[in-house]
Amino acid sequence: MTGRRPAIARSAALLAATVFAVWLGYWLGPGDRSLYTLMGLYAIVAIGLSLLMGFAGQISLGHGAFYAIGAYTAGILTVGLDPDDRLIDPEAGIDPALAVIAAPLVTGVVAALIGVPLLRLRGHYLAFATLALNLILLAALYAQSGFTGGDDPGLSVVEPLEVFGWRISDVTGGTPRHAAVTWVLVLVTLLVASNLVGSRAGRALREIASSERGAAAAGIHVSAYKLRVFVLSAGLAGLAGALYVFLFGFLSPEAFGVILSFQFVVMVAVGGPGSIYGAVVGAVAITWLEYELSDLGTRPSLLGVDVPDQAPQVFSLGVFAVILIVVMLFFPRGLVPALGHALRRLTPSRRAAES
Amino acid sequence: MTPFLDVDGLVVQYGQAVAVDGVSVSVAHGERVALIGPNGAGKSSLLNAVCGLVKPAAGRVRVDGRDLTGRKPGEIVRAGLTQVPEGRQVFPTLQVETNLLLGAYGREFRRELVSATLRYLGRRGEIAERLERVYSLMPRLSELRDRPAGQTSGGEQQMVAIGRALMAEPRLLAVDELSLGLGPLVVQSLTEFLFRLSDEEGVTLLLVEQNAALAFELCTRAYVLEAGRLVLAGSSEELRRNADVRSVYLGGPTVTDAELDR
Amino acid sequence: MTELLQLVVIGLSTGSAFALVGIGLVLVFRTTGIVNIAQGAFAVLGGLFMVALVDDLPGVVAGLVVVLIVGLVGSIVGFVAVGFRRRTTSVASLIITLGFALLISALSLLAFGDETHTYAAISAHAWELGGVLVQPQHVAVAGVTLASSVLLALGLQRTIAGQALVASGDSRRVAELVGIDPRAVAAIAFAVAAALAALGWVLMTPVDPVRWDSELRIVLNGFAAAAFGGLVSIRLAYLGGLTLGVAEQLVVGYGDAIPGIGDQARQYELAAALVIMLVLIGWRSRHEVHE
Repeated sequence: MTGRRPAIARSAALLAATVFAVWLGYWLGPGDRSLYTLMGLYAIVAIGLSLLMGFAGQISLGHGAFYAIGAYTAGILTVGLDPDDRLIDPEAGIDPALAVIAAPLVTGVVAALIGVPLLRLRGHYLAFATLALNLILLAALYAQSGFTGGDDPGLSVVEPLEVFGWRISDVTGGTPRHAAVTWVLVLVTLLVASNLVGSRAGRALREIASSERGAAAAGIHVSAYKLRVFVLSAGLAGLAGALYVFLFGFLSPEAFGVILSFQFVVMVAVGGPGSIYGAVVGAVAITWLEYELSDLGTRPSLLGVDVPDQAPQVFSLGVFAVILIVVMLFFPRGLVPALGHALRRLTPSRRAAES
Repeated sequence: MTPFLDVDGLVVQYGQAVAVDGVSVSVAHGERVALIGPNGAGKSSLLNAVCGLVKPAAGRVRVDGRDLTGRKPGEIVRAGLTQVPEGRQVFPTLQVETNLLLGAYGREFRRELVSATLRYLGRRGEIAERLERVYSLMPRLSELRDRPAGQTSGGEQQMVAIGRALMAEPRLLAVDELSLGLGPLVVQSLTEFLFRLSDEEGVTLLLVEQNAALAFELCTRAYVLEAGRLVLAGSSEELRRNADVRSVYLGGPTVTDAELDR
Repeated sequence: MTELLQLVVIGLSTGSAFALVGIGLVLVFRTTGIVNIAQGAFAVLGGLFMVALVDDLPGVVAGLVVVLIVGLVGSIVGFVAVGFRRRTTSVASLIITLGFALLISALSLLAFGDETHTYAAISAHAWELGGVLVQPQHVAVAGVTLASSVLLALGLQRTIAGQALVASGDSRRVAELVGIDPRAVAAIAFAVAAALAALGWVLMTPVDPVRWDSELRIVLNGFAAAAFGGLVSIRLAYLGGLTLGVAEQLVVGYGDAIPGIGDQARQYELAAALVIMLVLIGWRSRHEVHE
């Protein structure tokens, strides 16, 4: 869409959304706020993954790995690279703010390195390869426990995140500022992504998504574009991971299992591959759903039936599985876009009369 | 007398794009009818809807009096209508004989593989006889029976596709773009074969063709389709003399000869 | 030397189990174009159902019943995964199989908890050949896998039903036109693949206890085996599985010699398989034509 009016309207809407998002961070109670912040973090990842799956047409079943790389990079840089130093010297690492900036860069570099061979693979090979890399990373995180803290005792990051003395985070949980920063970043990411979508690069990517051979024939440098989107989506995940560190101040490989990667795929599937606003909705919805299901699973009994110990996991796995199946079968373009269409058809408007 | 194939007000849509816009055609027993028109006119879409590959958005398809609109291809095959698809689609890694036998196998398919196999095996004798009939009708195939179908020439592949369709004992054979990509001599011999099939075996023919001259030569009646709509219909004689048809479809040496020479 | 042979023997047997999963993947991919991530879940179901039944039924009967049930589950998954003719791409089908894999995991967790489960092997007594211990269980797995691979390959080549399945993989549209229903093809291909995976794990569980979340490791190994043959060759998938099994055991056995891994070799067992798989995939993918 060209023209100044839609662009101004869009910017105004985004500004209003930003203000609302920040306000929501202050308004919510401390318990909900952590969840709210987490939603924002996942939204950032989902936007990146949506670009990758929707536009570059690539499927990643291991995107949680980039989230983990970002988190561990930021965490380790903050507490100090040398495991021995960490015990002695609280000032061992670098400034957390710098760590948060470095993390997405490191993640991007890793993505660039593995992306070159990886993106040559076709759909199903790529799916397994990304899954495999995710598992390899996890194995390394557990195994190199001297460096990463492993799952016991894990990596504790006590230093709060500060920018020029303005304290953002607090290890006791989500702070309003952390939430605000996170959601402002979500909106910034949306701006960046929507600019990408509308640009010439975006059009090229759409060509690639529909037919790689056709795009190549049209002179589009397919592998370069795919790599760029891959690196961007990895960097976004890395950024989200870095911010996550300062949400709870504790890292363990258990928080980054493959389930997380699958959850990201569900978010993008629900939101619609390629739909960046849908990705945000998907991230919020799925995160909320997981929280509710876990909550449901921790109750002693449900509808008169005793609830077993593993219920939280069973519920969330099961529900996500069903969502994946249903969405892929009936709403392959995404649940959110489908709902959007349905709503548009229900509301009478001049445009409807034209068609 | 009820026509063998009766298509009434067929509409075929792919998403928002309308490929066939309310077309009605009919083919009587033993007739040879053609569907001509330019590329993208919707001829193949019409055929695919008739054969059950695509579900029509509206309209009716009746085969031998029975309403088979939107049914699965297997049912249509069992009702006596088989298609020789565009581009000589054979199963390239399988032998010629296997390709032919699968034509008979597909006819036994209802819901699942196991009963289909049992039905097929129960009719082994019958099917073997059918195979010999097809080989006698197209002796070249008998020579090629053990060769992977992908390793035969274009004309031979077309014969395999026709033979496979014949193995289902069709009463109506629909052929999609017979001449595409084949040399004139091959096309000529195939045309003669189809004529004999219709004349001697009583097989009804529905020919979908871009090459109007070929269509008029083989068929007694034709429909002209343009942009999804039926614009003309009549006997081959009438259409051949029609000024518009001549200029668009028969006029000039370029269109038809170039296709034949390819 | 005997240590090496011992590792090889174990590797051949675990590799056989992976090969069964892998040839199932090949069968499904060749006939439907779908990569079935749920193969691992089918294997786990084989093991877990067997745990449930082995106390009440004689071993062989229990095994047969389990294989049939899992085959049935497989056919349902296949039927659904094919999706709708125009709307469902093969990547979407892949994600649907992922969904089923997760669903089966969730139900397994619910029904069997998160402990590992196992049951008695065929025989506690092991044969000794030149200093190497060979358990009857291992021989059973290896033998069944070899027989299955041969039978499956022959079945696809020599029977009309097999050829119909291959034809559907060659060209789904033309097969459909001829009357062969792609949903029916998927149902039977998935059913056989699931049955094979389950069979492998019915035999394997006494040696390698199974858990609700074992499926990921299993399907990755199975995929690596299948990738050996470019996802289309049963023979190569079989060989790939064996090679993979042996390689994995060698890494576990001699891993402490590799710098950086040290005593964490066990942790890297899966990683080793994955690295091998990635190399294979990369090599194989180069030979395949882009769509």
